[in-house]
Amino acid sequence: MKAVGARLPRYDGVAHVTGRTTFVDDARVPGTLWVKALRSPSHNADIKDLDVSKTEAMKGVHAVVTWKDVPLLEYGHLSALGIPADEPLLAKDNVRYKGQPIAIVAAEDEETAQAAVDAINLDLEEQPPLFDVRKAFDSDAPVVHQWGNWYPHFEGEMDRRQIRKGSIDEAFDRADAIVQGVYRPAAIEHVPLETQVCQVVPEADGRLTIYSCTQALYFSMGVVAAHLQVPLNRLKFVGGTVGGGFGGKVDTATETMCSLLALKSGRPTKWRWTREEEFLCSSTRAPWHMEIADAVTKDGWILGRKMLTLHDSGAYSRFSPYGLTKHSFHHTGAYTIPNLHFDGYVVYTNRVPTTAMRGFGVTSVSFAVETHMSRIAKELGLDPFEIRLKNANRKGDTSPNGIVYTDPSTIPTILAVADELGHELPADYRTMSSEKREGELLPEHLVGQIGNSEDH
Amino acid sequence: MPTAVETGAEVLLPTSEDEAVAAFGDGAGVTVLAGGTIVVPEMTYGYLKPQRVLMLAQAGLDGIARDGSRTTIGAMTSVADLTDLPSPLGLCAANVADLEIRAQATVGGNLCAPQGRDAPRGDLQSAFLALDAQVRSVGAGGERTDPVETFLADRAGRLILDVSFEEPAAGAFARLDRPHTHDYSALTVCAARTADGTVRVAVAGVEGPAVRLPSAEAKADDPAAAGAAAVSDATFADDALASAWYRERTLPVLVRRVLTQLQEAA
Amino acid sequence: MKLTVNGVEHEIESAPLTPLLYVLREELGITSPKVGCQQGGCGSCTILVSGEPRRACLLAVAAVDGSEITTLEGLGTAEALSPIQTAFHQHYAAQCGFCTSGMVMAAHAYLENGGGTGRESIQEALAGHVCRCTGYVKILDAVSAAAGGEVASNQRWLPQPGEEAPVEVPGAPA
Ligand SMILES: Cc1cc2nc3c(=O)[nH]c(=O)nc-3n(C[C@H](O)[C@H](O)[C@H](O)COP(=O)(O)OP(=O)(O)OC[C@H]3O[C@@H](n4cnc5c(N)ncnc54)[C@H](O)[C@@H]3O)c2cc1C
Ligand code: FES
Ligand code: FES
Repeated sequence: MKAVGARLPRYDGVAHVTGRTTFVDDARVPGTLWVKALRSPSHNADIKDLDVSKTEAMKGVHAVVTWKDVPLLEYGHLSALGIPADEPLLAKDNVRYKGQPIAIVAAEDEETAQAAVDAINLDLEEQPPLFDVRKAFDSDAPVVHQWGNWYPHFEGEMDRRQIRKGSIDEAFDRADAIVQGVYRPAAIEHVPLETQVCQVVPEADGRLTIYSCTQALYFSMGVVAAHLQVPLNRLKFVGGTVGGGFGGKVDTATETMCSLLALKSGRPTKWRWTREEEFLCSSTRAPWHMEIADAVTKDGWILGRKMLTLHDSGAYSRFSPYGLTKHSFHHTGAYTIPNLHFDGYVVYTNRVPTTAMRGFGVTSVSFAVETHMSRIAKELGLDPFEIRLKNANRKGDTSPNGIVYTDPSTIPTILAVADELGHELPADYRTMSSEKREGELLPEHLVGQIGNSEDH
Repeated sequence: MPTAVETGAEVLLPTSEDEAVAAFGDGAGVTVLAGGTIVVPEMTYGYLKPQRVLMLAQAGLDGIARDGSRTTIGAMTSVADLTDLPSPLGLCAANVADLEIRAQATVGGNLCAPQGRDAPRGDLQSAFLALDAQVRSVGAGGERTDPVETFLADRAGRLILDVSFEEPAAGAFARLDRPHTHDYSALTVCAARTADGTVRVAVAGVEGPAVRLPSAEAKADDPAAAGAAAVSDATFADDALASAWYRERTLPVLVRRVLTQLQEAA
Repeated sequence: MKLTVNGVEHEIESAPLTPLLYVLREELGITSPKVGCQQGGCGSCTILVSGEPRRACLLAVAAVDGSEITTLEGLGTAEALSPIQTAFHQHYAAQCGFCTSGMVMAAHAYLENGGGTGRESIQEALAGHVCRCTGYVKILDAVSAAAGGEVASNQRWLPQPGEEAPVEVPGAPA
């Protein structure tokens, strides 16, 4: 255990500072073809015609791949966990977001590849797009996904992730006030300095060597193998050197398509997105729509919370059902609320598909919860630190999904923040700890946590 | 080898001003490449596919000359070389991009910068407008010296040789910036007062090249009123840096600031 | 055309308008300058032209014909790091490492031009460089330490074969 608490040199530090680290783009493979994609110019459209014959005949073009060339067209990122797939690797009948790949080309160089893409004949019939996650629920909203406007496949074919804890009606009946808020954090692009990039080499033994910038190497291997319908032992992934990911490199954005082109052309292929593609077509952190209504007492206890969350998945599901589940487990933040009624939906729009980013699903709810705590304090005329300390997680409290906290850190954190800011606190708050509640800190509504957590 | 650049273009590399003028001719079909901070990425991304490129890298055309109160700046002078000049030009130049870009970017390129897809990029134009600068250029019909205002309105087919101006009695500069030091400015406002008391105010970051703000100039003694009046002299556009709405609301503030600075400099 | 890169002279065959970044990476195989944005916005391609930092993606190679170019490969080797490289390593200023080449080159030029330990002047020198991993604090620490002479050059701070990794880090902030 010598390493714990010690400052150890980074194993890759010297390679980085001498410029010797080999990123995917730095691998040098002779004879490599350059890859470009035909991407949807439309946010939502039906594909009437897709004709690549002119492109295939062009000088310097070695392979063109469309949906017809993909052995298993739809394989969701969570398929292995039993979550059904909804996204084609390459668009087939329609396009659902601007930038969605429709066809890919491997050519001698970047210019030829671009010219080849430009020569593809694509005929689209525009459909009305949907961009706002809240509007997806309006009766006049266009339906933008084959499953409807929200994901219908949670356990038991539920169309939402729901949590019920305690007795929400009782909490609202007993409340002195109801404090409401709506929170809508926007999408964020990860902007890794290394754009999405991949190099694939078809080896003489029939295997593919895949230089990948994925954040989740074995996961990406499974995704590529499934689409290609080959056993894992046909794929040799070279990875682990990621030029920044932050969640944006879990989607296996390039590896499968680059592999298909390498197989079809018999040549090494490389696909490096431009910065513009990265901004316009790569997945982002989701926009969220969160509505919170809290039943509170005038001295600042939160008796119950009703919450509606709409998680903007973009055009397809990807990891969003998982992100929303995490979100739901954290929807009380660092605080304990005994009575809960949470409904969360994974909603489809015509934005780029959204994905993980640093605290997947949880940063959005932390933003909402913390803002809401301050709002409650303001509406009740209470100190924002005291209300947080009062409702803070304590040993023995339970999370929305029924986990018993054994080592919560809310109280020491809030106290440290108060110290740092020089915020004065009354003695009984200053001496609070995370130990089990008792005395005045065990208000009636928390005895036995009203109801129980079994029925969610 | 992957290469994004049109390799077929003819490249002209003059080594003197005369050669540059001759190579440019009437400018038909010629793309001037000065510092290249705009032209090179436009070629990389395939937005610009030039046939004939006039590279000024070795043509001279640079340097700052002073003759009494008149300053003349060669078109190939780098933006970095202007940062020590008096306000508004010096401050305006120091606010362009970061030191690596400033050292490569040129005055001629800034005066001819086409409106960007995502950001405005001719900040110095506002300073030169405030200074009532004169632009010496060649092209069809030969050499011409125009007020910068006239030049900006009709700059296609011209090769800038230099730009000159009288040192102002006072100058002022204000901008609407994004948080990053090196980023483009969403709006740049420059003002200058001549020895005889004439005040000129101009803004860059509006639709098209920079423009003067005559309505603000007419009320220069009352900065707040001038700010309010300025809005009618400019057309605003949305881009990645800021919306037209935001720009329209910010311009009065910036105009008020520069005119207040001018008053304080009195 | 000719370029002298890290002291070695090369005949250049690329077309004159090819960005220097492509010439270095694709024609000469020198891969420390990174392709981050190809439009001047990130600084990951920064190299030195006659000792001054420039964005390799913004320079047509003909514009620097005959110049002396220095890339990160030309600073120090793993066995003999330059002071700024040592400082970056010791201060954990390189995380994913993608921005590092450009950062180190700009910082190196800053030091060579007599730059001091002041935060503001270092920020000004590195203003064109984006890092998405470190949050910049460690980078500023590293450059400041190097400017203040707080790093010994050639300090490898790398476990030697058979040696245990050092637990006490020389020169690292407490
Ligand atoms: C990261 C980044 C940040 C930037 N930030 C700013 C900023 O804050 N403010 C700002 O104003 N700009 C900014 N720019 C844009 C640009 O760097 C400047 O406008 C610069 O002054 C352009 O000069 P250049 O010599 O590089 O132009 P070039 O790219 O060489 O040319 C630009 C245009 O001018 C024409 N041209 C050049 N010289 C002449 C001449 N002598 N006669 C006729 N036509 C000519 C070219 O044909 C071309 O159309 C930024 C650019 C980058 C990449
Ligand atoms: S690649 Fe040159 S600045 Fe980003
Ligand atoms: S270390 Fe990753 S971008 Fe700077």
